[in-house]
Amino acid sequence: MKNSIFPTRGLTPLFGLAVFIAFWQLISGFYSHVIIPSPAEVAHTLWALVVSGVFWEQSRHSILRGLLGFCLAVAAGTPLGLLIGLNSVAASLLRPLVVVLQVTPLISWLLLAMIWIGFSRVPVFVVFVTTVPLIVINTIQGVKSIDRQLLQMAQIYRISKPRVIREIYLPQVAPYLLAGVSNALGVTWKAVAMAEFLSVQQGIGASMAVARINLETAALFAWTLFLIGLGLVTDRLLVSLTNRKLKHWM
Amino acid sequence: MTAVIRFENVHKTLGQTRVLEGFSLQAKKGEILCLVGPSGCGKTTILQLLAGLEQPDAGRITGTKGLKVSYVFQEPRLLLWKTVAGNMDFVLRDSVSPARRQELIAKYLRLMGLYEYRDNYPKALSGGMMQRLALCRALAFPHDLLLLDEPFKSLDMPLRLGLVRQLAQMWRGNPSTMVFVTHDLMEALLLGHRVLVLSARPAAILDTVDLDLPFEQRNISREPLPSHYGRMLSLLEAESMKFLPNL
Repeated sequence: MKNSIFPTRGLTPLFGLAVFIAFWQLISGFYSHVIIPSPAEVAHTLWALVVSGVFWEQSRHSILRGLLGFCLAVAAGTPLGLLIGLNSVAASLLRPLVVVLQVTPLISWLLLAMIWIGFSRVPVFVVFVTTVPLIVINTIQGVKSIDRQLLQMAQIYRISKPRVIREIYLPQVAPYLLAGVSNALGVTWKAVAMAEFLSVQQGIGASMAVARINLETAALFAWTLFLIGLGLVTDRLLVSLTNRKLKHWM
Repeated sequence: MTAVIRFENVHKTLGQTRVLEGFSLQAKKGEILCLVGPSGCGKTTILQLLAGLEQPDAGRITGTKGLKVSYVFQEPRLLLWKTVAGNMDFVLRDSVSPARRQELIAKYLRLMGLYEYRDNYPKALSGGMMQRLALCRALAFPHDLLLLDEPFKSLDMPLRLGLVRQLAQMWRGNPSTMVFVTHDLMEALLLGHRVLVLSARPAAILDTVDLDLPFEQRNISREPLPSHYGRMLSLLEAESMKFLPNL
């Protein structure tokens, strides 16, 4: 038994976390709190931010912006991916564009968006352009993986095209799309904070910019922890939602 | 609608393989035509041509235009994200009224012993049960032409013979044209009005057996079935010699 020294498997990750925090505590002893604040200091700052209401006040902007950009990306990326996957003309026309979109540096989008659309909408735009290629590319891969034999079966039984898309394509694309959505969600919170840092006055990224100027390193750590937590929670949420829906046939 | 399905001098090449060369065949309306032959001789290709899934390179196929086709493939080809009843409903929804649909689904699932599994997903079924569900789906779908590609391949012998009998029963209730591909001579002799023995690729008809015996009088141990069986078997054995000359 590999894990026999631990009482249960569930405690093993907690143990890893404990080691990490202990190490952090140790290191923070060697440096000034401006360089590396101690875990207790960060926890204290986090608590103060929550109690004062600053936390919610700032993070709700980021969450809304992130979700808006992300939802727009899913709404636009899914049909686009289906189109490219199903239609060879659309594929040769649009696929290069999607690849260009994917490899364009985040900073270019950020700066261009600030020039083009005004500062307040930059975070939503940046989230959208960074997540939409992930959705599109995964959807295309899903379409490519479709079982041809099932399409032949549907052809024999004269199933209408819309029903073939809905009942044969979509269920087979779904796992790929979900992988894309999961990736996109991971990118969303990073992108939104990054965009806010440079473009707006409110939000997690903006608060981090202020914390940096004031040398409030503990606050920087606190916001970072919150972003990590946000990523983990939304990812878990997605996983549990989809498991419930797909467990019968995956 | 023409009464006869006809292949006239049909040629078909798949990739580099010449599967059919000048192949001709007829199936009368409402008859059960069985095709037996060595594996890879082009039986599946004949079904695909009949279904319109493939087009002949040369030659003519007549009498299939506008026919509603049901097809039992070698694989079950089920939708894993739909239940047993859902898979049936999937093919019936566009052509059958909702009330009639429920009736048909229940009827055929009962016939195949799948009724109690109607709310299960295919993942929970055995291979044989999946194949039976595929058969249910094909039978319930309103069709003029039923194509079966070794539908009982994965089933054990008693179940297989039971299903052949049941298929014969159902044909009597709804005598549609049926083309049944198998390499089990027994199935062919118990079910067919006509059995064609095909040669190895490119397929040619080696022998035609006409059977006008009613289904319930057919018994594999009673003449004329044994002598047909023996003759067909030796023909097929001679065919296999072409590929395994050193035996």
